[in-house]
Amino acid sequence: MSTFFDPHQHDTLAAAMARIIPTTDTPGATEAGAIDFLESYLAGIDRIYAKPDGSGFEALTGRRADAWRRRVEILRSTYVEGIVDLDRRSADAYGAAFVDLDAKQQDRVLTAIERPGESTALNTAQSVSGYAPVEPALQQASVEISLSFLALLALHTRQGFYADPIYGGNRDRMGWKAIGFPGPSSLAEVHTGRYTVIEYFADGSHEQEMEVTRERAKA
Amino acid sequence: MSAPKPDRTDVCIIGAGASGAAAAKVLTERGFSVVALERGPWRTKETFGGDELANVNRYNLWPDPLLNPRTYREGADQEPVVQMFCPVPQMVGGGTVHWQGWLPRFTPEDFRLHSVVGDLEGTSLVDWPITYDELEPYYTKVEWAFGVSGLAGANAYEGPRSKGYPCPPLPLSRYAQKFHQGTRALGWNAFPTPQAALSRPYNGRPATVISAFAQQHGDPTGTRSSALNVFVPDALATGRYDLRPESYVRELTVDASGRISAAVYQNEAGETFVQEADVFVLACGAVETARLMLLSTSARFPHGLANGSDMLGRNVTFHEYSSAIGLFDDPIYAWAGGGYVSASSMQFYNHDESRGFASGGHIACAGVGIPLPINWGLPDRPLWGPEAKSMDEQFFNHSMAVSMVVHDMPQLSNRVELDQDVVDAWELPVARITLKPHQNDLAMGRFLVDRDADILQAAGAQKIYKVYPDKVTGNCSHQHGTARMGDDPGTSVLDRNCRAHEVDNLFIVDGAPFPTATGANPTLTIMANAWRVAEHIADTRGQKRG
Ligand SMILES: Cc1cc2nc3c(=O)[nH]c(=O)nc-3n(C[C@H](O)[C@H](O)[C@H](O)COP(=O)(O)OP(=O)(O)OC[C@H]3O[C@@H](n4cnc5c(N)ncnc54)[C@H](O)[C@@H]3O)c2cc1C
Repeated sequence: MSTFFDPHQHDTLAAAMARIIPTTDTPGATEAGAIDFLESYLAGIDRIYAKPDGSGFEALTGRRADAWRRRVEILRSTYVEGIVDLDRRSADAYGAAFVDLDAKQQDRVLTAIERPGESTALNTAQSVSGYAPVEPALQQASVEISLSFLALLALHTRQGFYADPIYGGNRDRMGWKAIGFPGPSSLAEVHTGRYTVIEYFADGSHEQEMEVTRERAKA
Repeated sequence: MSAPKPDRTDVCIIGAGASGAAAAKVLTERGFSVVALERGPWRTKETFGGDELANVNRYNLWPDPLLNPRTYREGADQEPVVQMFCPVPQMVGGGTVHWQGWLPRFTPEDFRLHSVVGDLEGTSLVDWPITYDELEPYYTKVEWAFGVSGLAGANAYEGPRSKGYPCPPLPLSRYAQKFHQGTRALGWNAFPTPQAALSRPYNGRPATVISAFAQQHGDPTGTRSSALNVFVPDALATGRYDLRPESYVRELTVDASGRISAAVYQNEAGETFVQEADVFVLACGAVETARLMLLSTSARFPHGLANGSDMLGRNVTFHEYSSAIGLFDDPIYAWAGGGYVSASSMQFYNHDESRGFASGGHIACAGVGIPLPINWGLPDRPLWGPEAKSMDEQFFNHSMAVSMVVHDMPQLSNRVELDQDVVDAWELPVARITLKPHQNDLAMGRFLVDRDADILQAAGAQKIYKVYPDKVTGNCSHQHGTARMGDDPGTSVLDRNCRAHEVDNLFIVDGAPFPTATGANPTLTIMANAWRVAEHIADTRGQKRG
C-alpha cells in the first residue's frame, strides 16, 4: 500500500499517538495500529468509505471525489506542518527530535501545543450532538479540516483505535474490547441484519414501568 | 439550443424527503401524476451499514460541507462565517434516512401559543391558522401509514386522539428504564417515546432490528420507518410517481400572470431541464425551500418568489438540543438501539407563567451524543493521555443523557437569505443564516437542563454534568418558519392551506409553514401537515383562486 508520510514523519506520528492513547495495563494506540489507520486514510481517496458489506471500498467520483481530494490535501499539510513544529519545539527544549524524547518530555511538548478553547468546544459539541454531526463553530466549514494539529491527531488516534477494523486500526477489535463495546464481527453482520444488541436492553417493558408508577401514585 | 422539456405533469414536488414523499403518496394515490425532483441520490438499503466512521465522521450520508456550505452570523452587523449550520441529509428519504425517529405529537396549546402567552417582547409569536383538532386526523393517518410504535394515553399532555398507535412501544432500553425510575421518584409523567420503528411486523415489514448503529446511520434492513422505506414505495406502487434523483432545482420560473410555469433543474452531468406542471409543491426543508424561492427572482417577484411581503426567510427557528449527562454504577449500554430508543416527558412542555419564561420543551433520555466508541464523550474528558483513556474504559458503558429540545421563539430578524459571496459546488449562492437566540430560549434551556439533571439525580446517578445551551447552533437538524402560514398576507407567505398568498399554484409542505417551532420534534407534524395540504390540493385540484 502506498503511503503519504516519510519514515520520520510516520515514526513521529506513531510516537505521538502512543502518548494520546498510551499503553497502560490495557493496550493503546500502538497495539491497535492507529498509525496504520492514519496512513491508510491519507494515502489517497481510495479508502474513505468501506463498502457496507465489507467487501472493499467505494470508488469515489465526481464532486465527491473532488471534495475528498481537497480534504485529504488539507489534512496532509496540517500534519506536515505540525510535525515540523513538534520537532522544532523538541529541539529547542531538549536538543533532540520528538521521536527521540522520553515519554515525559513528549507529553510536555504536546501539552505546550494544546489549545484549551478548542478542546472545550469539541468536548461540548461531542457530549450533546445526537442529531447533527459534531461541528462546533470553529470559524470553518468542517471540524476535521479546521482542527489544529494536536486536536486532529487526537481525533484520528481515537478513530484508529475505535473505528471498524476494516479501516486498518482497532486491530483484533482491541479498542472495542477495552471499553466493552460488543461491536459486530464484520461489517457484513450488520449489513445482513444479523447483528442485534437486544440482549443489552432491560428486562421488562415500558408498560410495566408505568404500572409501577401508577401503583405508587395510588398508594 | 433550449433545454429539454420532459412531459408536463399534474404536480411537481421538489424534494423527496419526509414531507415531499408524504405528499407524493397522497397525491399519486388520489390519481394525480407526480414528478419528483430530488437533488440527492436514490440510495437503497444495500448501500447502508454499521460503519460509525463513515456515517458519523466522514459525511457518507451527511452533506459534505465542502460541497454544500452555509454561512452563519449572529447579527446583521457581523461578517458571516462559513459553517455547516443545521445540515440535513440530501437524498431520497431526506432527513428520515438516518434518524432514529422520535415522533411525538404537538399539543393543542402549540397551535394557539400567542393566545396563551400574549405578546412576548422581541418575538413575532403568533397562533397557528389551524388547530390541533384540524390536524388530528392527519396525525392518525401518518402514524398508521408510516408505522409508529407508541403507547396511546401514556403522555398526559397529549391532545385527544381518534385512534391509538399501530404498534406497541419498542422494547425497554436501560436508559429508558432509568428515565422511568427518575420521573417516578419525582412524580412526573413519562411515556415511551413514540418511534419511527416497528415493535412488531407491520404492513409487510418485519419488526425493526435493534442494532447499535441507528441514529445517524442508514438502515440496511429496511425495517425502520422512513420516507424511503414507506412513502416512496407507496407512491411508486401507484405507477404515477416519476421520481428523479440527482435533479437539483435551481429556479422556479413564473409566467405573465405570476403563476409558476416550470422548475428548472440540472442533473449530475450538468444538463439543464425544464419541468412544467399545473401545481408545484416545495418540500426541500425550510432552509433550502427559502433559498430556492430567493433564487427565483423575476420582474414580478424581484425579491424572491411570493415575497412581496418581505416575510420569506424570516422567523426561522431551529430548536436546540442539549442535555444533562449522568454516570451510573450499573451498566446502561446506551449504544443499544443506537442510543435513541427512549422514554419521554412533557411535564415541562406547556406554558406555565410561574417558570418565568414562555412555553417549554420535550424531555427525553438518550445516549451521550452518538454513544458509539469514536464519538462518545464527556464534557471533562481530556483531549488525550491516560486520563482520557481511562474515562473511556470506565464510563462508556455507564453513562447516559437526559436531553431536551428548546422551543426557540420566532423573531423577525432571525432569517435565511442568500449569501453575497459564498457559492456551493454548483455555483449557486448558499443560504446565509442570521440568528440570535432570544432571552426566552436561553432561560428555557437552562430550566429544562436543570430538570434533566433532576431526573438523573432521582434515578441514582453518581455524577451529573449540565450542558446549558448558550446559543442556537442548528444541532437538531430541525428547521421551521421561513414561509409562515397565516391569514394575513402582510405578515405571512402562505395561507392556511400552505398555498402562497401571491402565487396560485405554489404550495409548501416542509417545516417552512410552521408559525412557531414548538418544543417537540417536528417531523410527525411536518408529515401530517403535508398530508393535509396534499388532500387539499387533490380536493381542489389546485384550482385558480377566486
Ligand atoms: C440524525 C437525524 C435525526 C433526526 N431525528 C429526528 C427525530 O427523532 N424526530 C423528528 O421529528 N425529526 C428528526 N430529525 C429531523 C427530520 O429529519 C426533519 O425534520 C425532516 O426530514 C424534515 O422533512 P422535510 O421534508 O422538511 O425535509 P427533508 O427530509 O430534509 O427533505 C428535503 C429534501 O429536499 C431535497 N432538496 C433540497 N433542495 C433541493 C433542490 N433545490 N432541488 C431538489 N431537491 C432538493 C433534499 O435533498 C432533501 O432530500 C432528524 C434529523 C437527523 C438528520
